[in-house]
Amino acid sequence: MSKHDDPTDDASTAEPAPDTTGKTGAIALDNLNKTYDPEGEHVVAVEDMDLDVAAEEFVALLGPSGCGKSTVLECIAGYLEPTEGEVVVDGTPVTDPDPKRGVVFQENRLFPWKTIKENVEFGPRMHEGVEEGRAESILDEMGLDGFEDAYPSELSGGMQQRAELARLLANDPAIMLMDEPFSALDALTKEIMQKKLLEVWERDNRTVLFITHDVEEAILLADRVAIMTARPGQIKDVIDVDIDRPRDPEVVTTDRFTELRERALSVIREEAERALEQEDGA
Amino acid sequence: MSTTTIERIQRRFEGGTVPMLTKRVRQLLSIVLFLGLWSALVRFGVLGFDTFVGPETTLAALLEALSGTAMTEGGETIYEHAAFSAFRVLVAVTIAVLVAIPLGLTIGTSRRWEDALFPALEVFRPVPPVAWVPIALLLLPTFRSGVIFVVFVGAFFPILINTIEGVKTVEAEYVQAAASLGAGSRDIFRHVIVPATLPSIVTGVSLGVGLAWITVVAAEMIAGGVGIGYIIFQAYRLLQTEVIAVGMIAIGFLGYVSAAAVHRTGHYLTRWQETN
Repeated sequence: MSKHDDPTDDASTAEPAPDTTGKTGAIALDNLNKTYDPEGEHVVAVEDMDLDVAAEEFVALLGPSGCGKSTVLECIAGYLEPTEGEVVVDGTPVTDPDPKRGVVFQENRLFPWKTIKENVEFGPRMHEGVEEGRAESILDEMGLDGFEDAYPSELSGGMQQRAELARLLANDPAIMLMDEPFSALDALTKEIMQKKLLEVWERDNRTVLFITHDVEEAILLADRVAIMTARPGQIKDVIDVDIDRPRDPEVVTTDRFTELRERALSVIREEAERALEQEDGA
Repeated sequence: MSTTTIERIQRRFEGGTVPMLTKRVRQLLSIVLFLGLWSALVRFGVLGFDTFVGPETTLAALLEALSGTAMTEGGETIYEHAAFSAFRVLVAVTIAVLVAIPLGLTIGTSRRWEDALFPALEVFRPVPPVAWVPIALLLLPTFRSGVIFVVFVGAFFPILINTIEGVKTVEAEYVQAAASLGAGSRDIFRHVIVPATLPSIVTGVSLGVGLAWITVVAAEMIAGGVGIGYIIFQAYRLLQTEVIAVGMIAIGFLGYVSAAAVHRTGHYLTRWQETN
């Protein structure tokens, strides 16, 4: 696995100048295609997808299950290589995972053999070194003080997800790629986590690409909601969420929120019906 | 007197008067039944058991052995024989651990090394460790080192195979997570592959230790000069059946103790696992 890409070795894109501060994080999906051929069966997961996420923007990627959302995220993370097209981050095409692009999944990927504190300090240990007390303060912020020396298996699902978020924040990524991070949590924990995420994002201004199938979650959190079509995945529509920040979960009761939700739902319904027809036809 | 009748009925419904056998009692019962069966087999001469000792004589022989009476012509006591066998197992397992774990990690992580090393190892794997005895005796300078070599072979393969299997089943998600946190391949090996493989390695080592005891007895019977396997076989030749039984008990005890030690160590090393 290669180390960080050298941001100076790329001249093929006309994106803004590569960052040196680690505080930007613009993502450009340029004609992204990803196909799989498991046992000869040709599956087009993502087809000709274009999407631009500005630095420090919060974009939600919304779509029916199996529409290739996760494939898109894994291409941005550098886990999957696009079949065609490319992912460009701050002017540099993505080839490998990079600490600048942090990832959180629905099922947490905390290292079970490391304590919570060791997990949180893992990223910093890999590069600039561990700053004394930093893990503790991040864990404290996530409401996990006192669990520093616990192993992940000793924590509840909600706490594990908070620890995962703490690990991500400790690594200070410019981009946070989040794949349905809260969908396995109960309603209350989910709300707390959403609030926490907004708080952190509004303070640190990182770029967030947040995958979800929950319309309300997408609108509550994001600046823009990109709605994907059923497989093969493409961007069907992008909705600007013009609701003031800071937002709290109360905004779901406002008229504007309802309007945006209805608009998103109608796009999704249309897509879902099309997908069903496709299946019937097949 | 009518209250006692009611009480008795109640108790019968609740099963209160007949205490359930506790776990300990049931375990004790298992041993008592075994000893009873053994005694009966000897008394009634089932198969060739009439030529063998019963539990009572064995107990007397065991106590005598434990008191430090010499077991063989050389004057070695059961403690010395046990120490020899245990030493051989310990040395052989230690070498096996030191060789098989790094080798397994290498084969598991590198396709190239796997192709280079694994086919040759696969050829030797089905060969029972005891089948190595003649060649070990021919090639190695002393009988004692020959026995250790054979025990090493016995312990080596389970550790190797489980280590390789462990590496191959490390979930890609953890490797990806580490890479996204900035870990290079060396860090991924150290912080992800090795700890994730540890439970499999522990399994391999417990299997290896079990096989080491089986192998050491077999090897000592052929070429020990000293050791529990040797006294069992000597006793067979001299028809000292009570010594055979004492040797078997000693091996059972040593195997049990070492298995427990490996289990405890393994449990501690993988204490992060959910099942713990």
